[in-house]
Amino acid sequence: MAILTILRAAWGYLFLIFISRIVGRRPGKQLAPFEFVLIFYLGGLTLTGMVGQEFSLTNAVTQIMTVAGVHWLITKVRASSPRIARLIDGTPLTLLEGGQWRSLSMKAMKISPADVMAMARDRDIGTVDGVRSAALERNGEISIIKKQDNKQE
Amino acid sequence: MSSTEQFTEPATDNGPLVDDAVEVGEDLDFQRAWWRFEKIAWIVLSLVLIGDAAGLFGRGWLAKAEVTSPDQTLHVGYERIERAGTPSEMTLRIGSTAVHDGRVRLFVSESLLQQLGAQRIIPQPATSDVGPNGVTYTFPATGSPAIVGIELEPSFPGVHRIELSVPGAQPIEARIAVLP
Repeated sequence: MAILTILRAAWGYLFLIFISRIVGRRPGKQLAPFEFVLIFYLGGLTLTGMVGQEFSLTNAVTQIMTVAGVHWLITKVRASSPRIARLIDGTPLTLLEGGQWRSLSMKAMKISPADVMAMARDRDIGTVDGVRSAALERNGEISIIKKQDNKQE
Repeated sequence: MSSTEQFTEPATDNGPLVDDAVEVGEDLDFQRAWWRFEKIAWIVLSLVLIGDAAGLFGRGWLAKAEVTSPDQTLHVGYERIERAGTPSEMTLRIGSTAVHDGRVRLFVSESLLQQLGAQRIIPQPATSDVGPNGVTYTFPATGSPAIVGIELEPSFPGVHRIELSVPGAQPIEARIAVLP
């Protein structure tokens, strides 16, 4: 039934958003090879259930339109409600501030000081002392703010 | 309206700032609640997988069921939980009392043919008589028990009631849940 294929497509999209949110953010600018595996494998597994035995172009077109519609709706709701945006994206987390590691946050997000320092080196900062603050952003990147040398002046 | 007028709203920090701290926009209360939710979600996902392995969602020992008609003429092995679009097999054993003149007759309700998508009946029946609520098949039988297999591939999610009987004997009724 056509309505079932539309519901399946919408459900598949929302379920994948939920799963990727549960699997969590991992720091880094690029995907590691095993994360590629996760993405392609999840995509392929979702496909079998969403398409079923209906290999028609009509089915593909309507399912793509469904996913596009649900995506548009989520983007719109996310932009209009900070609470929902927080649910979908999470919130940024401070990892290092005032020379102190936020150990609990780091443990919960499975981030080590080495991960933070790797990103600091990327920003030409060689030591912890040179970092004013580090935060795990909602997209999984670690952002580093450099300590200003002329701050005391 | 000049082109600069639309840029008049001053940019302000909307989070509490202490000692010129970097504005990260962190919401630790929410994050702690989310971590708790994640833990629960992982537990639920694990339980779903364990349930799946046990057959709670079909294709496992929890899903398998057997039923015998009160007069012992018919014994049916089936899966009480089916999955849409997934093949499965129902096995029927028909007792010796049902064999007359080297033939066995079997009535199956329409729901088995429609919602549960019976694809094939093994062996091929000699005749099929269409009735208002289902089909009566006739098989040549030399001995007993006569074993008949029905290959199913359900297409309609929901709970479906099926009825199987040897005409003249007591019927078997069962409910089969089809998951999407």
